[in-house]
Amino acid sequence: MMLYYIYDGTFEGLLTAIYDTYYERENPEQIVSIDNFTDNFLIQRRYIDTDKEKSEKVHNAIIKKISREALKNIMYAYLSEHENSGKYILEYLRFGFKAGKLVDSYLSDNRVHNIHRLVTKINREKHLLLGIIRFRLLSNNIYYAPIETQYNTACLLGEHFAARMADQVFVIHDVKRNYGVFYDKSKWFISSIDIEGNLDYHEKELFYQELWKKYFESATIKDRINPKLQANFMPKKYWKYLVEMK
Amino acid sequence: MELIDKIRILADSAKYDVSCASSGSDRKNKKGGIGNAAPYGICHSWTPDGRCISLLKILYTNYCIYDCKYCINRASNDIPRASFTPEELANLTINFYRRNYIEGLFLSSAVMVSPDHTMELLVKSVKKLREEVNFNGYIHLKAIPGASSILIEEAGRYVDRMSVNIELPSNESLKLLAPQKTKESITKPMGLIKSRIIQNQEERHRFRSAPSFVPGGQSTQLIIGASDENDLKILKLSESLYKGYNLKRVYYSAYIPVSYHPSLPSISNPPLLREHRLYQADWLLRFYGFNTNELLNENNPNFDELLDPKSDWALRNLDRFPVEVNKADYYMLLRVPGIGVKSAQRIVQARKVSVLDFDDLRKLGIVLKRAKYFITCKGKYFKDINFMSSPATVKNQLLQEDKIKVRENPEQLSFFQLYPQIMTPAEKISRITGEL
Repeated sequence: MMLYYIYDGTFEGLLTAIYDTYYERENPEQIVSIDNFTDNFLIQRRYIDTDKEKSEKVHNAIIKKISREALKNIMYAYLSEHENSGKYILEYLRFGFKAGKLVDSYLSDNRVHNIHRLVTKINREKHLLLGIIRFRLLSNNIYYAPIETQYNTACLLGEHFAARMADQVFVIHDVKRNYGVFYDKSKWFISSIDIEGNLDYHEKELFYQELWKKYFESATIKDRINPKLQANFMPKKYWKYLVEMK
Repeated sequence: MELIDKIRILADSAKYDVSCASSGSDRKNKKGGIGNAAPYGICHSWTPDGRCISLLKILYTNYCIYDCKYCINRASNDIPRASFTPEELANLTINFYRRNYIEGLFLSSAVMVSPDHTMELLVKSVKKLREEVNFNGYIHLKAIPGASSILIEEAGRYVDRMSVNIELPSNESLKLLAPQKTKESITKPMGLIKSRIIQNQEERHRFRSAPSFVPGGQSTQLIIGASDENDLKILKLSESLYKGYNLKRVYYSAYIPVSYHPSLPSISNPPLLREHRLYQADWLLRFYGFNTNELLNENNPNFDELLDPKSDWALRNLDRFPVEVNKADYYMLLRVPGIGVKSAQRIVQARKVSVLDFDDLRKLGIVLKRAKYFITCKGKYFKDINFMSSPATVKNQLLQEDKIKVRENPEQLSFFQLYPQIMTPAEKISRITGEL
């Protein structure tokens, strides 16, 4: 039998699962979110009750015994939604509690390498999104940016855009995961989102979209068209909400 | 004229400037304001030719009083002309910025009425953006050669980066091809910007709240192949610009023949590979601790087009190899062909906790294609490679590796990838555009 830990999909749930592996002295084959779980008859299931106290203990232990960097790393690995992320995180933390703050220097150790690989993917997508999300000004003066991302990175954008677009109300909408990063000119927060009906554009919105498309066209060197290179930098899966790619 | 037509005309003329970086400044947003600068730079889109858009790169005007034979904006050329107003420009920038289309503005211009008149309009535009619109995003401004020091100084208080394009790498070439442009008209504003930057850094050291002056530094652009300077002369010039003028970047741009003038060389292809080698050497100067004399000398004044400058250097200094990865210091690691800054840092970090072998290097993401001829791990060479004391043998191996790579993956070395900013003769325009 293979032991699977199944948690509710939250980061706290995942940390609770980590806590339980220590408390129960168990070594689960996988730690998976309930959304990603497919049952079969070889699997022995243990459902994790998300517990704030337990997750905080793990949270604090990571900072104290390993590093803040390590906490950020497992957070990013979690956001990758990789099928093995739970397992990788457990292995990384077990090693980390032994190795201490030097854990991230073990670049060639698989337990560290697996996590770093996921972190790199998240960092890349996050950096790309900083550039390619597009706000549309709505008739109610909210700047609205819908996106569909490969990883769950939209939640990492709040800080950057709140500092930058400090004087505008905005919403970044992760359409696939159906939540939004909201900013109200004083603080940003994450909340689920529910849009009914059509969003009306501000009267000037299409005007600026046209100007931007014209600029984009004029900045292109036409004898050097190389769509493959373009798609290398800016993969097609992100084009759906790009004003200039329509 | 409609705004959209102005954008078409004035973006079209600006797109050949190579510089697009939005990095190097950490300007913060102000209370009630909009925008900040990201020190690491952000790309916002990629045009179908594969070049990144970071800044709104545009000319203020393409009306020009000069009539330079080689320039598309020359007064006698019959092309559509346009000019922004400071209001239009500020409005356009801020509305693009709010929608996250751009990282900021890169404003350049042809010379309308006089250098001072043009510079005044540029200053007015950036001042409006900073003071009226409260825009704190990135601004790169071209200093117009010949404009008064007062105007250039004023501009520097509002922008993140300034540049004065040298274009032609020697006084003789300037006289020949750009007679209105003297060495002094270029070095004077550069020197002024430099000394004000240094003065400002001292002020900011004492008073953190002192207003900034060109915090992203200054840059310039050199045209390669329009005149007969060799690589040594060009690289020496860059080196002294980095050291003497504290420049952040020197951009190189292969010359493309566009006009038939007896003083211009008639070449069929732009020297793109040469441009690429100069960029590689430039990196070696700035990040790898090399100096020009190590890379080139009077007997060898030009780079080998087949081999990158670092490999070339290594072959001439085989007595310093092989390098033991577990022992060599950081700066020696940087001198190994195929090992870059990131790789060297990762090696230094990883060997703190373990002794590295070749498999470990792979996991660190280090490409062994070139490096394997120059390194040992735990005293051993990679697989069946033995130390080759003859530069010719190693060179052959390196060149062979390149060929194999090309065959396996033709996309990998596409010319365009190496030279994303090139243009073709069909685009009847010179890089020497309207910058006088």
